[in-house]
Amino acid sequence: MKIILVDDEQKFVNMLAKRLALRGIEADVAYTGDEAIKKAASTAYDVAVLDIKMPGISGTQLKKKLHSLHPNLKFVFVTGHGAVDKSDEGTAENDIYLSKPMDIEFLIETIEELTQAGEFVPGSLTPQTNGRDL
Amino acid sequence: MLKFSQSFLKSFWPEFHKHKHNVHLDSFYTFTDYRYLWFMSIFILALTALSPIGLATLIYYQLIETSVDSDLNHRTKQLTSAAKSAVTFFMEERLNALTFTVNENGYKELADNTRLTDILKNLKLGFGGLTDLSVLDADGNQVAYAGPFHLEGKNYKNQSWFEQSLKKTNFISEVFTGYRGVPHVIIAVRFAKIDGSYFILRATLDTERLMQILSSYKTGDYADIFLVNQEGILQTPSKNYGDIFATTELIFTDGSDEIEIKETTLNGKPIISGHSFISRDMIPTPFILMVVKEKAGMMQFWQNMIIKFNWIMGASVSLTIIVITFASTFMVNKLYRADKAKAETMMQMEQSQQLASIGQLAAGVAHEINNPLAVINQTAGYMKDLFSFKDEPRNDDEFAEYIDSILDAVDRCGTITRQLLGFVRQFDVKIKKINLGKLISQVLSFHKKEAEYRRINVTVSIPEPFPELETDSSKLQQILVNLINNAFQAVEEGSCLDITATQPDIKTIELVIRDTGCGIPEENLKKIHEPFFSTKKDRLGTGLGLSITYSLVKKLGGQISVQSTEGVGTSFTITLPVKIKEGGFA
Repeated sequence: MKIILVDDEQKFVNMLAKRLALRGIEADVAYTGDEAIKKAASTAYDVAVLDIKMPGISGTQLKKKLHSLHPNLKFVFVTGHGAVDKSDEGTAENDIYLSKPMDIEFLIETIEELTQAGEFVPGSLTPQTNGRDL
Repeated sequence: MLKFSQSFLKSFWPEFHKHKHNVHLDSFYTFTDYRYLWFMSIFILALTALSPIGLATLIYYQLIETSVDSDLNHRTKQLTSAAKSAVTFFMEERLNALTFTVNENGYKELADNTRLTDILKNLKLGFGGLTDLSVLDADGNQVAYAGPFHLEGKNYKNQSWFEQSLKKTNFISEVFTGYRGVPHVIIAVRFAKIDGSYFILRATLDTERLMQILSSYKTGDYADIFLVNQEGILQTPSKNYGDIFATTELIFTDGSDEIEIKETTLNGKPIISGHSFISRDMIPTPFILMVVKEKAGMMQFWQNMIIKFNWIMGASVSLTIIVITFASTFMVNKLYRADKAKAETMMQMEQSQQLASIGQLAAGVAHEINNPLAVINQTAGYMKDLFSFKDEPRNDDEFAEYIDSILDAVDRCGTITRQLLGFVRQFDVKIKKINLGKLISQVLSFHKKEAEYRRINVTVSIPEPFPELETDSSKLQQILVNLINNAFQAVEEGSCLDITATQPDIKTIELVIRDTGCGIPEENLKKIHEPFFSTKKDRLGTGLGLSITYSLVKKLGGQISVQSTEGVGTSFTITLPVKIKEGGFA
C-alpha cells in the first residue's frame, strides 16, 4: 500500500510520513499541489491524504486533478477548520474528513478501512474525539 | 376590574414623559423628542378637526346676520306700509264723509246750526274721531258751528289753514293747538255755492284716534311709530324723539310716496328706520310716517340662539380636544413602546453581531492554531514512537531538532492567541487614541492565511505621518472587521483588496476599502444598509453586518458611501473625524 500526504505544513507531513513508515505504511510527501500531481503521475498511490487549505490550490481542487489521474485513488481530507463546508465544489459525501490535530492510529484505521473495503461505507467508522467536528 | 382599568388608564398616560436617556440606546430610537411629537400630534389633529367647525360656524353666523338683516328690513317695510295705509285710510274716510255730507245736504242746510249739530252727531256715530264741524264762507266767517267749543261767529280769514284750504278741494292740516288749547287736526273740503263763491266744510279730528291707530301697529318695546311734519316737528309722541311738537332733526325732503328703509344708529344703538310721506292728490296730508326699530331688540331671539350655539360649540370643542389628547397620548405611547422595543432589539443585535464577528474570527483563529498543534502532535508522537519502536536509532541532535520544532509551533500558537486576546480586549475599550494602520493590520492578520490560500493580493497604503485617531476603538474595530470580512467573502481567488487611508483635511480622515470582487447589483446598492437584507441565502448571513456598520460609522460622527459595479468590484468610502465629539453618539 502506498499513500501520498499533501500539506503545506512541511514539518507536519514529514513527521506523519516518518510515523507511518514506522508502522509499515509507505508514504510520500508533497508540499504543494503541483508537487503532488507530479509525484502521482509517476507513482500509483492507493490513498491521498490532502489538506483542504493550501496556498494556490484547495484540497478539493487537487482531488479532482488526482482523480482524473487515478480513478481508483481514495481520498482523506485533513483540515484545521473544525467544520467543513460540504457545499464546496468538489467534495463528495463519501470523502473522509479528519480534523487537525489527529490521532495517527485513527488515520491508519481509516486508511486501512478505505483500502480493504474497496469502497467506504459512510458511518461505518467508530467516531472518535478527533474524528468529530470541533 | 381594577387591574384592567389601571392598565387602560396607563395607555392614556404619557409614558414617554418619563423617558430615561441612555447613551447606548438613544442612537437606536427613530424619534428623539416624543414630547414634541405629542404636542405636534395634538396640534395638527386639533387644527384639522376644529378648523372646518370654526369656518362653518363663522359662515353660519354671517348667514344668520344677513338673513336677520334682510328679514328686519322686510318687516320694517311691511310695518311702515301697513301703518301708512291705516293713516291714509283714516284721513280718506273722513274727507269722504265730509264730501258726502255736503253733497247730501247742500249749503243752506249746512248753514243751519241745528241741522249741523245733527249731522255731527250722525258722523260721530258713523265714523268717530270728529270733535266738531263748522261751515265757513269764502271770507273766513264761521257761518255755522256744531261742537263743544262755542266758536260760533269766529273769523278765520287770517289763519293759514283757511288760506290753504281755499286753494284746494281737500285740505288736511298739521297738528296744532289753535284757539282751543288741545292738539288737533283740521280737515276741510271746499265747495262752490250756486252763486259761484266757495264755502268750506271743516271738521277737527282729535289726535287721540290717530295715535291709537299708530300705536296699534307698535309691536314690542323696540319699535317706535310716529308722525313728523316736513319741518321735523313731531305730530304724535315718539318714544325716541320726544313728545308731541318736539323739534327733531328728522328733515325729509324727497317728498316721495315710496317707503324708504335705512340702517343707522340712534344714540349709539343700531336701528332700522322706515319713512314715507303720506301725501296723495286727494289726501294731501303734511305728515311723514316714521317707523324706528332697534336692531338689538329685534335680534334678541337670534342672540339667544347664538349664545346657546356657542355653549354647544364650546362643549364640543373641549370634548374634541380631550379626545384628541387622549388619542394622541395613546398613539404616541404605542409608538414610543414600539420604538423602545426596536431600539433595545437593535442594541442587542449590534451586540450579537459583534459576537458573531468575533466568532467568525475565532473560526479563522482555530485553523491557525490547529496547524501548529498538528505539528506538535506529530512531532511529539514521533518522539514517542522512537521510544516505542526500540530498534529505531535515535540521537540527541535529532531530538533537539524535534523539540525546537515543537517550541516553534507553540510559539506560533502563542502569537495567535495573544493577537486574538489583544483584539478581543479592544471591544471593551471606549474612546482612546488609535493607530489606524496597526488596527487594520491586526484585523488583516486573521485573514493572512486565507489571503495566502486564495491568492488574494491585499495592499494597505497609509501615508506617513498619519494622525492618531481619537475615537471609540471598539466601534472602529468592528467597522473594519465587518468591511474586511465582507470584502473577503465577495472576492474570488486571485483578486485584489486595497485599503487606502488619506487625510483630506486636518479634522477628517478618509478610508477606502476597495475590492475587485463580484460587485453589488445596482438594485441592491440602495438596500445594503437596511437591516436583514442579505443575498447570502444559502449561507450564514444575518443581514445585519452592513446595516450595523452604517450605524456604527454614524455613531463615530462619520459617513459611509459605497460605489459598486457588478462584476468589477466594490469600494466602501468612510470619512471619520480625527477626534470624536464628546458625547458624539448622535
